[in-house]
Amino acid sequence: MKHNLDKLSAIFNRYPQNRESLIAVLQDIQKEYHYLPEEALQATAKTLDVPLSKVFSVATFYNAFSHYPRGEKIIRICVGTTCHIRGAHLVQEQLENRLNIKAGSTTKDLKYTLETVNCVGACSQAPVVIVNNKYYGHVKVSDAKKLLRSK
Amino acid sequence: MVNLTINGRIVQAKEGEMLLTVLRREKIDVPALCHHEAVEPFGACRLCTVEITKEDWNGYSNYVTSCLYPVEEGLIVSTHSPKVNELRKTILDLFLARHPNSPEIRQLAADYGVFKTSYETVVDGNNCILCAICTRICDTMGFHAISTVGRGHGKEVAPPLHQVPPDCVGCLACALNCPTHYIEYTFDNNYLTIWDKKFELMVCSRCGKKTITKEFAEYLSKHRDIPFSYFEICDECHRKELAATMGQITSWEREA
Ligand code: FES
Ligand code: FES
Repeated sequence: MKHNLDKLSAIFNRYPQNRESLIAVLQDIQKEYHYLPEEALQATAKTLDVPLSKVFSVATFYNAFSHYPRGEKIIRICVGTTCHIRGAHLVQEQLENRLNIKAGSTTKDLKYTLETVNCVGACSQAPVVIVNNKYYGHVKVSDAKKLLRSK
Repeated sequence: MVNLTINGRIVQAKEGEMLLTVLRREKIDVPALCHHEAVEPFGACRLCTVEITKEDWNGYSNYVTSCLYPVEEGLIVSTHSPKVNELRKTILDLFLARHPNSPEIRQLAADYGVFKTSYETVVDGNNCILCAICTRICDTMGFHAISTVGRGHGKEVAPPLHQVPPDCVGCLACALNCPTHYIEYTFDNNYLTIWDKKFELMVCSRCGKKTITKEFAEYLSKHRDIPFSYFEICDECHRKELAATMGQITSWEREA
């Protein structure tokens, strides 16, 4: 996949170009592209003068970094114990059917990524669904459409 | 100088030295799989664990990885006390569960009387014990071609992006220092392949023997100031040549 790498130089310019900036730069790349494109990792290694192997090591260490393209809208369904008991799997099924993908993947048009998470610490609101870091509590199966359309 | 007691014997060591270094010097055999002189101590395998105590510890003792423990005045060390052996046995038991097919692990475990793991065996396991000697040595060599990738259960040693490593020169330092011989490489005529990267080998211009990879020779001549032509002759022929030169010098001396 070809990317508009122009945005990279803006990211690099935000930080001193040395190895201390590695994680900050990777975070900004993740924010911009929703994942870490290969070319971006290569450019990062070059710009910060850090071996590519080290960049890859750090980038794969943290779960906050993704290595596959992710959707514009990231929907995370909590399937922790409480949410599970309160029907999270039904919500999951509904969302999977509507998007025609399984949890853990991204729609072809890169609009949605569906993921599951384990307990987000909001059990009193169970079942919980998080859309781009916005939390929705007491979710019902019939809310699926609303969730997909939410900003 | 620091005085310590190891297995009942008084031993002297240099300030700042690691315990394992002293044990090795005293020819005391303690297993150590993640230790290598060329790199900093790492403390990954835990096998070099020993028991330490001091006169004023009221009979209490502690268990430390000797590769990472600097010597101290008055330290009393036991390398094979029943408790240490028991600990090492458990570690080897765990190793055996993860790497049941590694001859090196099996041998070491057998030395401690562990022939079958008491844990559940990892079926799709491999022989990489994640000691990271390979990646650390690669860094020391100055190539940084491979690293550990991922973490936890999925952690592995791999080239960046899981692709052919651009910075690898085929020096073989990783494979030859791997304690479980996990890293594969093949020689095929004039080529060496490692990490899926194929390297042309230098051929001795005198005897035709294959030596190091061209990339490695180029690196050494560029960064270590050795003329490239040095690598066009193999070590043996260099030595033969040296003998011839020495003979020449002696005969000149005789004549003079
Ligand atoms: S189980 Fe979902 S928030 Fe705790
Ligand atoms: S050699 Fe000390 S922990 Fe491995």
